[in-house]
Amino acid sequence: MDHVDHILIVDDDREIRELVGNYLKKNGLRTTVAADGRQMRAFLETTPVDLIVLDIMMPGDDGLLLCRELRAGKHKATPVLMLTARSDETDRIIGLEMGADDYLVKPFAARELLARINSVLRRTRMLPPNLIVTESGRLLGFGRWKLDTSARHLLDENGTLVALSGAEYRLLRVFLDHPQRVLNRDQLLNLTQGRDADLFDRSIDLLVSRLRQRLLDDAREPAYIKTVRSEGYVFSLPVEILGATQ
Amino acid sequence: MKPFLRWPRTLGSRLSLIFLAGLVLAQALSFGAQSYERYQSAKSAMLGNLETDVSTSIAILERLPANERESWLPRLERHNYRYLLNEGVPGIPMQADEVPIAVPSLKEAIGRDYLLTFSDIPGPRKHFQAHLKLRDGSPLTLDVTPSVMPMSPWLPFVLLGQLLLMLGCAWLAVRIAVRPLTRLAHAVENLDPNTHGVHLDEAGPTEVAHAAAAFNAMQARIATYLKERMQLLAAISHDLQTPITRMKLRAEFMDDSTEKEKLWQDLSEIEHLVREGVAYARSVHGATEANCRIDLDAFLDSLVFDYQDTGQAVELIGKNGGLIDTRPHALRRVLVNLVDNALKFAGSAQIVITTRENRRLSILVLDRGPGIAQAELEEVLKPFYRVESSRNRSTGGTGLGLAIAQQLATAMGGTLTLSNRDGGGLCAELELDASLN
Repeated sequence: MDHVDHILIVDDDREIRELVGNYLKKNGLRTTVAADGRQMRAFLETTPVDLIVLDIMMPGDDGLLLCRELRAGKHKATPVLMLTARSDETDRIIGLEMGADDYLVKPFAARELLARINSVLRRTRMLPPNLIVTESGRLLGFGRWKLDTSARHLLDENGTLVALSGAEYRLLRVFLDHPQRVLNRDQLLNLTQGRDADLFDRSIDLLVSRLRQRLLDDAREPAYIKTVRSEGYVFSLPVEILGATQ
Repeated sequence: MKPFLRWPRTLGSRLSLIFLAGLVLAQALSFGAQSYERYQSAKSAMLGNLETDVSTSIAILERLPANERESWLPRLERHNYRYLLNEGVPGIPMQADEVPIAVPSLKEAIGRDYLLTFSDIPGPRKHFQAHLKLRDGSPLTLDVTPSVMPMSPWLPFVLLGQLLLMLGCAWLAVRIAVRPLTRLAHAVENLDPNTHGVHLDEAGPTEVAHAAAAFNAMQARIATYLKERMQLLAAISHDLQTPITRMKLRAEFMDDSTEKEKLWQDLSEIEHLVREGVAYARSVHGATEANCRIDLDAFLDSLVFDYQDTGQAVELIGKNGGLIDTRPHALRRVLVNLVDNALKFAGSAQIVITTRENRRLSILVLDRGPGIAQAELEEVLKPFYRVESSRNRSTGGTGLGLAIAQQLATAMGGTLTLSNRDGGGLCAELELDASLN
């Protein structure tokens, strides 16, 4: 029998957690609900889950605190999807810094939540295991560049901010999470398109060439992203974690 | 009819004028009174002298033998009168209403003993003569030249000095009185509750200190009201998010129908309004984001790619090739709002970047939509204002998108201006004072 993914929903609003639970159940997932951090901890003691949906704004221990706790404990590999009440940048940044895998802004549509859950699950499963664990909210250094993974932009050696489009960021992030490893087009396409279902079908080759431009990488003799004939692409430089964002 | 002399416009010149006129008048009055008093006392002293002197002189002449009188005349002569031993020169009989002040004194001195006749002698130096006959019958004429009271040569300089002193004092007083007022007006002019206001120095004279304190209090009050208003807006918007989330979730359990569709649409509309409300509250209240140096071309490129990746017709024209110092999130939000607006009304948008001659940077968001009526171009930048065509449901719109863009543009030290393009469509120009290098 197929494995049925078990989702734990932590939200202080009873109606929301039950509605979400019912919706996900209707769509073939196993769900458990928890009203606060205490219930969450109690449940996780006995049962491992595949993904946790965590509300940020909760009385008592809030979502950020719980997320940090999860990341520090034995559940650090369990994906976390944050629900935030504000579309504000700071919330997103903080959420990702605390180690959430994705976030969704309230009010959200249930089908969007379902899509995000599936995307996060797929991402964590189909990825070849990370060679390095890149905690979110850190600076990743490679060559002359640094990638700020919370604000999602590049910084050059002078500290100048170079913006990335959403697709560019996701592609670069996939490369940086799997440096010096050949990734084929299918893998790249899946990983970069996972989040936004309505994303246009850009070919990976176009995206790679855009990213090379952004990195000021010479397309004929690329230093960062090398083409592997008939296989795909490889990020050829080592990546180092530079610590928290200033 | 226009008056020839106009009341000056500035408070400073008015005050100076009043001060100066008052001081000059007071000075003139006291000077006049003083010189009159001096004149009076000098006159009575002089006339007293005249009486004794003249009666003594006449008595001497009377007692001298007729042939010796001539030699005594120079000794009896005074500064402004002398004696002549003849009938004098013929003159005009003296008018009764123009009697010199010396005449009554002369009458007083010798009028009882001699018959006096007076005559005016016209000429360049007007003077008069008194004629009488001594006891031996020989004529004697007293030639009197009334003189103006002598004035010290240094007096005009002293007066001039006083005038200058008054001018200086008036200028100083007016400056002291008007400067705090100018400072206050300047502060009120620059009053912007969104930024940290200018705190007026509450020192100086009591009234000035009072006004400054009142101004500071008013400024603080306005800031508090604004903050409260924004907090209210943010709180309402924020608290609406939970019920909207519930409703959206519930709607998703409904069977597919037009009712569900409509409910969903309404909810999305409310949700949008709530989000924009929070965003507006933040844009007004907070200028918290720090400046960063950004690569402008990469920034605009990524923005446009994000649109293109979701199938939207947005293109970027022109390159800047420079770095600018600005707030990236605010800039992104402004441009996203402008582009969204263009997409809503025209279906496509162009972003054009140009650098002005004075190193000011100008980013244009252009569309070929219906544009905005000239009279409404300013209005649409105000919160909750919507052009008539955007009030209907199909286009929706919260009336906050452009207001947010405008607020953020101002917070970034730039300006946002809307204009209609030749050939139709709207041009939104964001001008930034970003230092390029």
